[in-house]
Amino acid sequence: MDFLNAKDLLSFLQKNLKENIVESHLETRTAGIKKEEFHNIWLEVKREKFRDTVELLMTLQYPHIAIIAGNDNGETVDLVYLFSLFYGEKFKEISINIKVSLDREKPSIESITDLIPGAQTTEREIKEMFGVEFIGLPEMRNIFLPEDFPKDVFPFRKEQKGLDELVQKES
Amino acid sequence: MSISTYKIPIGPIHPSLAEPMTFNFEISGERIQSVDLAPGDNHRGIEFMARNRNVVQIIYLAERICGICSASHPFAFCRAVENAAGIEVPPRAEYIRVIIAELERIHSHILWAGIAAEELGFNSVLYLSWKVREEVLDLLEMLTGNRINYGMYMVGGVRRDITEEHIPQIRKTLEYYKDAYQTLEDVFLKDPSIALRTKNVGIMTYEDALHLASVGPTARASGVKKDVRQDQPYSAYADMDIKAITPDIYSGEVNGDVFDRIIVRILEVFQSVQIIEHCIDNLPDGEILSEPKIIKLLGVLKKAKGEGVGRHEAPRGEVIHYVKLNESENPEVWKARAPTYNNLMSWLPMLQRQEVADIPIVVASIDPCIGCMDRVTLVDSNTSKEQVLTREELIKLSIEKTRRILR
Amino acid sequence: MSGGSILIFILKIFAAVTIAILGIMAGLIYKGIDRKLAARLQSRVGPPVRQPFLDFFKLMIKENIVPENAIPWIFNGAPVLALVSTITILFYIPYGSIPALFENSGDLILIAYLLTIPAVALVTGGFSSGSTYASIGAQREMVLMISYELPLVTTIIVLGWRLNLAFPGLKVFSLAALSANPIWGIVGPLGFLGALLLLLTLAIVTPAELSIVPFDLPEAETELAGGILVEYSGRNLALFELSNAVKMIVMGSLTIILFFPYNLAPLLHLTGFLAYIVDILFFFFKLFIVIFFEATLIRVALARLKIDQASIAYLIILSTVGLSGLLLIAIDYII
Repeated sequence: MDFLNAKDLLSFLQKNLKENIVESHLETRTAGIKKEEFHNIWLEVKREKFRDTVELLMTLQYPHIAIIAGNDNGETVDLVYLFSLFYGEKFKEISINIKVSLDREKPSIESITDLIPGAQTTEREIKEMFGVEFIGLPEMRNIFLPEDFPKDVFPFRKEQKGLDELVQKES
Repeated sequence: MSISTYKIPIGPIHPSLAEPMTFNFEISGERIQSVDLAPGDNHRGIEFMARNRNVVQIIYLAERICGICSASHPFAFCRAVENAAGIEVPPRAEYIRVIIAELERIHSHILWAGIAAEELGFNSVLYLSWKVREEVLDLLEMLTGNRINYGMYMVGGVRRDITEEHIPQIRKTLEYYKDAYQTLEDVFLKDPSIALRTKNVGIMTYEDALHLASVGPTARASGVKKDVRQDQPYSAYADMDIKAITPDIYSGEVNGDVFDRIIVRILEVFQSVQIIEHCIDNLPDGEILSEPKIIKLLGVLKKAKGEGVGRHEAPRGEVIHYVKLNESENPEVWKARAPTYNNLMSWLPMLQRQEVADIPIVVASIDPCIGCMDRVTLVDSNTSKEQVLTREELIKLSIEKTRRILR
Repeated sequence: MSGGSILIFILKIFAAVTIAILGIMAGLIYKGIDRKLAARLQSRVGPPVRQPFLDFFKLMIKENIVPENAIPWIFNGAPVLALVSTITILFYIPYGSIPALFENSGDLILIAYLLTIPAVALVTGGFSSGSTYASIGAQREMVLMISYELPLVTTIIVLGWRLNLAFPGLKVFSLAALSANPIWGIVGPLGFLGALLLLLTLAIVTPAELSIVPFDLPEAETELAGGILVEYSGRNLALFELSNAVKMIVMGSLTIILFFPYNLAPLLHLTGFLAYIVDILFFFFKLFIVIFFEATLIRVALARLKIDQASIAYLIILSTVGLSGLLLIAIDYII
């Protein structure tokens, strides 16, 4: 297995994705008493090119997906995919955090479950919590919400304020 | 010949499950034909609750995601906030953080070992393991004031110091665990009765572990040398040479079965003892908090803007927290990912073609923490056969592999 | 019917009731001792010795629920059948030097059959309760029963056969004859070894008869949530618990009568009433030792097996042990 360092990896991505990268930067961190340095990559790509980015990563090594963090900031729904590459040796692993901005009215993105089966749980969670449509996601049932949960309510959107209505009814 | 099957639900409440979780099995005789997972019985909306809390309040919320990982979640969360706001942690605090995290690993792994024995109907070993575990809980109580939910972690350091009086007691406990390691090895790795029930049971291949993004001992037992402490060391781990533990260290081969998961966990107990020893020997002097005044700290965090990811290798696998600060009282996004969340899918290849008798031990073998993973109730009253098949197609790749191996 | 025979008849009924009550009480006491000892072995404090009594009375005042899709008369009948058949065995067992209430030429064969009835009752009850867990438990109980029956019967038959060779014309399957002529005295060194193997066979069949770890598959709490008994509650469950407690006495007594029928009184030159007392106390002491080895120790030292492993353990391994015992005894007789 070839280990790339973070700088080479970033330039590799920049070379291949060119103008599809909206924003990218290296994050430098230190650890331990000796303050050893390591780098993480933050990347924002265009929605259409996200799947290509993952496929690009797969040519290097099978990427590990940790989770998708969703954020409804009022204008767009941002997804941050937390990937990591190159496990196995000290300070070799690189975290790649890929951000994608989606349209808030009708958010949709291509599913990567067929590439990485392990992404299924987190895609399903984002689907039901933020109402993001994952094109090609084979399992459409809710994973954490009840099956009879209203289809147009997405609990982690900004307009949701919790159980107020229900609590008022009870009391 | 067509096989006629019948359905058997395990959960949401079942003696072998410590926490609510539903499995729907299709059984033919004593063999499992297919399995459908229905989590969501234990969702508490913790991330939602955090929207109305400031960073320091969230630390205590994170601590209560899970009773066993009550050092791991705040550890990862504090690191995420520190990364986002650019706060430096004093070296002494880094070492104390690692000591507490590793003590937690010892207690978590031995707790798991006891539960695994109980799932096998081996109650004597359950009592033995939990008796051994008491020692570390007593030590944690002495150091932090609590047996669980330690309340040690704070953004920028730790809240309590380890003083000179504590050191002899820690050393005594470590000696105890060096002896106890022998007992655990005899009981778990050399006992024919346990080997009979766990060898070649619940196999997950290397490819499956990789494709399903498994983490922690579950992945390492399948030969994936993945351990955050080794790959991207942090805190005091960066000053040590930590190697991810895979079962071939002990037995010379990787099978990815339940027995391998036992090996990994038992060896990790010993590894933790060594890590704590190193930390005590090299404990640096100095402050334990970068900013002791919480009001002042909150003021800094209120003005901070940025994103941060905090990773920590919890006993069950990697805990990862993502925090986005946006110059406001409360963080804009907080996403916590517990190891069971990723290991959830690992159950599917593991449970395929197993016997009913193996369900408890296979389910327990990933050390599930439903409380960590789960969110809201899912009532799945009429799972039809078709839906089960869809699920099968979804992980066709992994199932085929598992079948091929079992054949 | 003459006056004398009526009197004997009434006396016998009285004796039977006494034996039944004493048997149940002894069973519960031994169960309590077993639990206490197991707890001490596992470094726990454990429940008080009277705990099985408390459990029983608690269960008796609890509601008796019959599930909706159960067949009521089978469901309710099974526990009664199980208890009655186990208590019946008690009447055929000689306690110390007190002869058994009923004696006949084929006691042992009858006991072998009576022992299967509680298991059959459990299976019927399990199947009729209409729960998937209970069905799996019932399937397992059947498989287990078929598996341990061969080694059990081997032991019994071999002992009777050897006795017949030694004393032709004796009622060899009556327990009185068996306990009067212990196997150890009538065989040579090879046969002694064979008899030891038979003792081992019987000792390992006992945990399955009592359905305790490692052979508690039909109930398997962590797998089947109680399995065969999952739908039983209240009075019915209490009856099953009772029959299990009595079965413990039965299996222990069987081992004692077949292999350790020795009495203390002749050794101490005691006669009359005192001899009875000493013998029965000695009998209960032996029972305690046997139960400790056959139930408590095995239960504490092993993990639960899977059904295929348990079946192989009985049908292949233990049957081989039993049959080699037979072979050794046969060779011993020939040479």
